[in-house]
Amino acid sequence: MTLIFIIVGCILGVGLGFLIPTIPYSMSNYLAIAIVAALDTVFGGIASNIKKNFDMKVFISGFFVNAILAILLTYLGQKLNVDIYLAAIVVFIGRMFNNLGIIRRYYLNKITKKKEKSN
Amino acid sequence: MKTFFKNKQAVTIAVMISIVAILLTSTICIQVKSVEEYKKADIESLRDEELKAQMSLYKTRYEEAQKQYEDNQNKIKEYKDTENENEKAANLIEKELKETEVLLGLTEVKGEGIIVTLRDTDTEIYWADDIRNLLNELKYAGAEAISINGNRIINMTDIVKITEGYILIYGNTRIKSPYTIKVIGDTTYLTSTLNMKNTGFVDVMKSNGLDITVEESKNITIEPYTKGEIENKYMKEDEQK
Repeated sequence: MTLIFIIVGCILGVGLGFLIPTIPYSMSNYLAIAIVAALDTVFGGIASNIKKNFDMKVFISGFFVNAILAILLTYLGQKLNVDIYLAAIVVFIGRMFNNLGIIRRYYLNKITKKKEKSN
Repeated sequence: MKTFFKNKQAVTIAVMISIVAILLTSTICIQVKSVEEYKKADIESLRDEELKAQMSLYKTRYEEAQKQYEDNQNKIKEYKDTENENEKAANLIEKELKETEVLLGLTEVKGEGIIVTLRDTDTEIYWADDIRNLLNELKYAGAEAISINGNRIINMTDIVKITEGYILIYGNTRIKSPYTIKVIGDTTYLTSTLNMKNTGFVDVMKSNGLDITVEESKNITIEPYTKGEIENKYMKEDEQK
């Protein structure tokens, strides 16, 4: 059921994305890093859901806080002339791969268990 | 499905997740669209390194253009100088040409001088000889321009008698009495030469019984020679100096 909600939400998001005008060039940097942070949080949420310790509060707060934190770090990095955003990207993508691995293992487990059951 | 909607907690969770989904997907869409646009844009959307490269490129181009501009400016200056010189030379030539024309008799001239009027009487008429003598005397007296009855006398003008009462000049223009001869030159010298006792033209003519009057004038206008081009079929410039 929630899946339907999610899918509907995604479709709505795509539609909304086409409607909203483009961002000015200077801010595209920040928006990109925020997207990476958000993606990481989403996959973290999925993974925690699978491990049955999904906490809504953690998910939502993580979503926004991570995004904002990433933007702030990029801004700081520009001011200091240090590419701080690189570190953020490494961390986020690293975590994303971790969570994806967890999801993958879980579903593969599920499939093998089902096959064993049917046998 | 109804059981799901009754479970408030589940519903809130679902709604919040869907909100997150909307946010995320819309943000991704916006970013992708923006990046597409930036790729089309020009120098304003480049980063540091690319900016540096573009700047040095534009700098060299500018310097080249600057040099071209200077070269062209110098060329223009050269052409202008040449043009000025050409203009000067042209002006000089024009001046010379005008002076030559004046001397040849191709232009209208003004000046002080005398007017000699010869009239045929019932008893005596003027012959071509008389007029030729008069012209000679005038030239001797320093005449610079002479015209008879409106015809300018130039270097090669000939005066021939054809019949009684008609005299021919240039070979095809007839003139007849009264002959108005306009002369430009030193008035005193002209009159004194013509009026010389016994030998001056006036005296000679009068002693033969011919009618002649001499009039001085401060401002005489003499017409230009208009009978066509002055030919020189046989005369060539001698190159040896």
